[in-house]
Amino acid sequence: MNAVLQASAVTPEAPVQVRGLTHRYDGQTVLSGVDLALEPGSVLGLIGRNGAGKSTLIRAVLGLLQPSSGDCRVFGEPALALSDQSKTRLAYVPQQPEALAWLTSQQMLEYVGRFYPRWNAAFARDMLRDWDIAPRKVLGKLSPGERQRVDLIRALASQPELLVLDEPAAALDPVARRDLLREIALRAGEAGTTVLFSTHIVSDLERVASEIAFLHEGKVLLHCGVDETKERFARLWLPASMSAAAPKQSLGHHRHADGSLSLVIERDAQGRWPEASALHGARVDALGLEDLFVEIAG
Amino acid sequence: MDASIFAIQPTSAEPIYRQIVEQLRRLIASGQLSPGELLPSVREVAGFHAVNPMTVSRAYGMAESEGLLERLRGKGMTVAPQGRGSSTTAQRMALLEPQLADVARQAGELELPVELVLRRLGKLMGER
Repeated sequence: MNAVLQASAVTPEAPVQVRGLTHRYDGQTVLSGVDLALEPGSVLGLIGRNGAGKSTLIRAVLGLLQPSSGDCRVFGEPALALSDQSKTRLAYVPQQPEALAWLTSQQMLEYVGRFYPRWNAAFARDMLRDWDIAPRKVLGKLSPGERQRVDLIRALASQPELLVLDEPAAALDPVARRDLLREIALRAGEAGTTVLFSTHIVSDLERVASEIAFLHEGKVLLHCGVDETKERFARLWLPASMSAAAPKQSLGHHRHADGSLSLVIERDAQGRWPEASALHGARVDALGLEDLFVEIAG
Repeated sequence: MDASIFAIQPTSAEPIYRQIVEQLRRLIASGQLSPGELLPSVREVAGFHAVNPMTVSRAYGMAESEGLLERLRGKGMTVAPQGRGSSTTAQRMALLEPQLADVARQAGELELPVELVLRRLGKLMGER
């Protein structure tokens, strides 16, 4: 569960392994020394503000862009030189799919299905119906949301070992989103599918993710099991008169107009909060992931 | 018994596995789930609530180690026979722990002496 601690023990066959990934673009640093590893069967939710580098990280992981420096591996192979066999074991849904726009959704699914040894045609057909996609309309004429739904169906029907989704929830209504989350959860739990998905809808991530990584300004600030994150972090509020007692190191640190202070605190190895939390007048609030994210990235 | 017996709040600060264990404790303590009753499978709960099956397994495993559930070979998880010994007192006390912790914190904030709070609590319980 605690992927940070396990990172050093990851086998070379880890579905995804990223080391020291840095990427600069137009003179700006988009990613700065990112390390990330996924164990088989884990579901990693990548969360970050717009522009935090989520899509760039995903594209680098899959070898779709050449990073300035660092090493990305998929199933142990360099991402930039993936074998055809490894490519059939993974599926990726970009935020704005554009490929094969001249085919109808039905034609596209029949066509790409031939390349995947474990293609589930019945699943693809059923999902087109459940998600209300006109099977005979060409992809280029579908709305961006419909287009992404077709691409999600394509990705799921290929029954990949590694499923990578970039902001999958944006195009889905709440019912379809729940369908997708259910698929992700059950496949990870039963077929051992490894999932990497980026989102800024934190409640989706809380349902299905086993791990969470906070990407902020090109760096992974936190990578931890979802349950552990909720148990390990909290917000400490100190009135102005005690703000000097605040722990020196903290992930998030906000001084309010009246001089009072909010900061993110972490339990020590014995499970205790820092001493300041026991002061008279101090308040410790449990944090959901969304609140924690706002405290850290806000 | 199906997966709708659980009410899951993914956005809560309380991890989902703890929510499930807590609800099992209450359902069993209150008799809404009786010994021998079969629980919904991990897959059913995960599918119904669209949550990770590992989370549900973790909750069931924890409930099993607490003696709330019993794994029956070939059947699945069932509600364990509940003894009347000291373990059940401890279990029932554990149910009250969050509320007691809350009272303790608030009493501290109000600078109330322990004896006074205890006396009042005793009186409240005696009155019932």
